[in-house]
Amino acid sequence: MRRLPLDYAIRNLGRSMGRLAALLVGNALVISLIIAATAFVEGMRSSMSPQDASNNVIVLATGSEESIERSEVPGTTPGILTASVPGILEIGGTPFVSPEILSALIVRASPDSKEDLRAIVRGVTPGAFLVHDRVEITAGREPRAGSNEMLAGELAHEKLGVPAAALAPGQSLWFDGVEWTVSGNFRAPGTTMSGELWTSLTDLQVATKRDGLSCVVLRLGSAEFADIDAFTKTRVDLELSAITEADYYADLLRFYRPIRIMIWVTALLIATAGVLGGLNTLYSAFAARVREIGTLQSLGFSRRAIVLSLMQESLLVAMSSVLIALVLCRLALDGVAVSLTMGIFQLSVDSVAAFAAVFTGFALGVLGAIPPAWRCLRLSIPEALKAA
Amino acid sequence: MIRPRMLPLVLKYIVRHQARTLLTLGGIASAMFLFCAVQAMRDGVAEATQETADETTLVVYRENRFCPFTSELPEDYGRKIAAIPGVAEVSPMRIVVNNCRAALDVVTYRGVTEASLRSMDLMLPEGSIDDWTRRNDAALVGVRLAERRGLKVGDRLSAAGVTVTIAGILTSTNPQDQNVAYVHLDFLQRAAGNKQGIVTQFNVRVADSTQLDAVAAAIDEVFSNAQAPTWTSSEKAFVSRAIVDIVRLTSFAGWLGIGSLVAVFALVANAISLSVRDRIKDHAIMQTIGYPEHLIARLVVAESLILSLLGGVLGLSLAVLVSWFGSFTISVEGVSIVVQADIATILAGMAICAAIGASAGLLPALRAARMSTAEAFRAV
Repeated sequence: MRRLPLDYAIRNLGRSMGRLAALLVGNALVISLIIAATAFVEGMRSSMSPQDASNNVIVLATGSEESIERSEVPGTTPGILTASVPGILEIGGTPFVSPEILSALIVRASPDSKEDLRAIVRGVTPGAFLVHDRVEITAGREPRAGSNEMLAGELAHEKLGVPAAALAPGQSLWFDGVEWTVSGNFRAPGTTMSGELWTSLTDLQVATKRDGLSCVVLRLGSAEFADIDAFTKTRVDLELSAITEADYYADLLRFYRPIRIMIWVTALLIATAGVLGGLNTLYSAFAARVREIGTLQSLGFSRRAIVLSLMQESLLVAMSSVLIALVLCRLALDGVAVSLTMGIFQLSVDSVAAFAAVFTGFALGVLGAIPPAWRCLRLSIPEALKAA
Repeated sequence: MIRPRMLPLVLKYIVRHQARTLLTLGGIASAMFLFCAVQAMRDGVAEATQETADETTLVVYRENRFCPFTSELPEDYGRKIAAIPGVAEVSPMRIVVNNCRAALDVVTYRGVTEASLRSMDLMLPEGSIDDWTRRNDAALVGVRLAERRGLKVGDRLSAAGVTVTIAGILTSTNPQDQNVAYVHLDFLQRAAGNKQGIVTQFNVRVADSTQLDAVAAAIDEVFSNAQAPTWTSSEKAFVSRAIVDIVRLTSFAGWLGIGSLVAVFALVANAISLSVRDRIKDHAIMQTIGYPEHLIARLVVAESLILSLLGGVLGLSLAVLVSWFGSFTISVEGVSIVVQADIATILAGMAICAAIGASAGLLPALRAARMSTAEAFRAV
């Protein structure tokens, strides 16, 4: 097959700068929307993916498997668990067991402030740093019991809606009229904890006037999940239930499925409008070249070679739009925090989003060129040459 | 704008390029579908949060808490609240949700006393309050929750570790009632965490709406030094605080709605420009046989208007169907936002389509009308 040179396709693009600009902008808009939707879904997914190697089990109250915040278990649970189930991971005699309280509280930036800052506060013991090993203190130190101190996650300021400097070590927050000092900052990539404030378990129990726990997180050593599960089923008096951390986050991700679908539907609706508008423009662009296409056929170029050249034109525009959209989205969207009531996550313009962009660009380039090209090529050569 | 006898000509222009027309209509329909969905969401937020002068309901919540899991008040606060001057009625309420996060399929249980339930302005198309009183685990479920979960009287509903039997389906003018399951207060206190004597909030009806703020302040004053101090606000202000993230999401969605309208404008303008360019010969002939310039311009604007309205009807009808059959409700922290396209949304959408159609066709119409006959023939 004798092919048309690539130069021909490139030079054709410059024929109408207005049309080229419209196609570039239209395609870039469609691809940006797909990137934004992928960044949202990917960001949400990666914030709810516990470590691959994680062997953590969450023990919480029966009926609260969907939401740790709702759970309330007796304060004696960690002791009974470690004494009853052998095989929980231990290092140097320290069991990997973390009793925790997760509470939704309103804090204030100053004692006389009227502005409600909605915080997710986790009461922890040093055991939390053993089981949540993605948590890394980036500034300051862990909160000390009895000191009303807080460790602020790197996205906590976004969750609270205050400047990052307001949660730097040494700064204060007020809860129920009592001052709490920020003792440090932490990051916890790939978890929902980055938006939380961590404090000493006992300090939070005193502040919220509760003696129970929300849950106990433990790491399995030689024990298996079935051992913990059997324990919770045997001790019916404690009304406990066990779930692996992986299953808990998988359920949480499933809970958000309708919101993810809504995001995709929104992006696809706008993209559909953009694609149909782009097809209209391509139809008119190719239809105006019927005579030229007839001439190419009479010069001996096959229909397939002409379609290939038209597709090259369309792909060049689409792939340029992919580049524009990726640069813009990486600059404008990557890392942007999205707050969803009980959590926060960052949009992630990563390799998955880039792949989605390239795939969309390729589909736009190929599928956008075929119908108008087919319409031009179905005419016979004499008909095409006679066309206005 | 144009005489009815010219209408067939405009319709011929529209159907002449079927592929172009279908692509344009599809694009407009997609954009208007999205516009309608965004508008329905904004209307739902406004309905749930806009305060009115005749509001008489206060919500008493635990101070410095959000999410029903963390608000715990002693049930006996009810007696002290009832004694405050201006208070007409106090309804203790225990609220249990399967999740505090914002989502589309949240089940909210509201545990109430029989007296509170009877005082509510509820309609029961199926079942009755008497049926509800007969069973301890009975529930009256809001119509949207029933539609979404496919529930009917006699069915069992299980969520948040609580299982209830449906005794009736309720409707109400209050959007908060349409997505909840009303159960017996003592049943819910025992079934969810063994919390006898503990409630999440009190709903307080004030005798005089002008006394709302004064009564709220008086309630908070009574409990300011108590073990569990309170935060009292109007019901709408309470909902506004709970859905702060959804409000943020809605304002972002507002931009999407504006983007949809820009897309509709661009699609119609593009299609009409292409259509006018294809018809230069027709316009030249029309001018030669005596059609005035303004008539040619009006024909182009009419074509743009019809195209835009057709696409609008398509998209808006689809959005209305989806919203009616989907029974969408966004819930967060036990409060609900009903997302449903109503007649006002459709009328607003049609008016916007008409305005966009007319304005998008204006420039191509002027260009077509101003082209001289000789110029038009030369362009062919």
